[in-house]
Amino acid sequence: MADTDLQIEEKKEAQAAGESTRNVPVFIPAVDIYESENALTLVADMPGVPIENLDIDLDSDQLTIRGTVPQQEEKGKVIFKEYTFGDYYRQFSLSSDMDREKIQASMKDGVLKLVMPKAEAAKPRKITVKSS
Amino acid sequence: MAVFRYPDWRWPNVSSALEDVERARRQMDRLLSVFTGGASSPTSSGVFPPLIVTEDEETINVEAEIPGIKAEDLDISVVARTLTLSGERKPEETQDVCYHRRERKWGSFRKALTLPDDVNPEAIHAECKNGMLKLILPKAEHVKPRKIVIKGE
Repeated sequence: MADTDLQIEEKKEAQAAGESTRNVPVFIPAVDIYESENALTLVADMPGVPIENLDIDLDSDQLTIRGTVPQQEEKGKVIFKEYTFGDYYRQFSLSSDMDREKIQASMKDGVLKLVMPKAEAAKPRKITVKSS
Repeated sequence: MAVFRYPDWRWPNVSSALEDVERARRQMDRLLSVFTGGASSPTSSGVFPPLIVTEDEETINVEAEIPGIKAEDLDISVVARTLTLSGERKPEETQDVCYHRRERKWGSFRKALTLPDDVNPEAIHAECKNGMLKLILPKAEHVKPRKIVIKGE
């Protein structure tokens, strides 16, 4: 059981994040990146982004994640507002030893998960010492 | 003969001066909210999840950003005019990994909101999609606006 209380993390606005043609703010999504023996996994919070509006681009070593939120229709009078709608954008440099062909992306409950398997050459190798 | 009339001057009331400062501060907040899109921090409760509440004649709409929270981990209840959202955001289960970045937060939350009007608790509609919760709370019949027909002779 979690003993910590969740706080609102104010969304951080991206500075000069690729030119946006839409008049909406662009935010930096919060990410977790973890490495296991076989893969590097990136998990990003992008609430409000449908899977078809997600754009993942890997250009040489630059991984770019971009998510656009659909236009919101105004419904009545706003009485309370704690967050702003906006797009998400973030860029990472990857080391080149990923197996690009096998990268898998999935989106669930507004969370993007990107699993990037390591190339064979980059996997740790156990060296067994044979006794003669 | 010239008559000098002194203005009816007195030391300004301190509490009314503070009211002026408060009014100026509110006006400044409103002006600045044009740039921040209305999400100025003084109005934020700081309690997860962040909400947008809108109201029209028939309904009250509540939207919340809850990325990574499954519908079954979320509890919504309405008692009289108090809407309570509670639940837990669970950490991802990982084994034998080392973290390069860990920015996503997890934990439990409980947030209460006082609704501006009475709602019909039987007709509340809730949906969870792409990490967004949408609640539509129809207002109770007795608070809905009623058109009054004027009869001619």
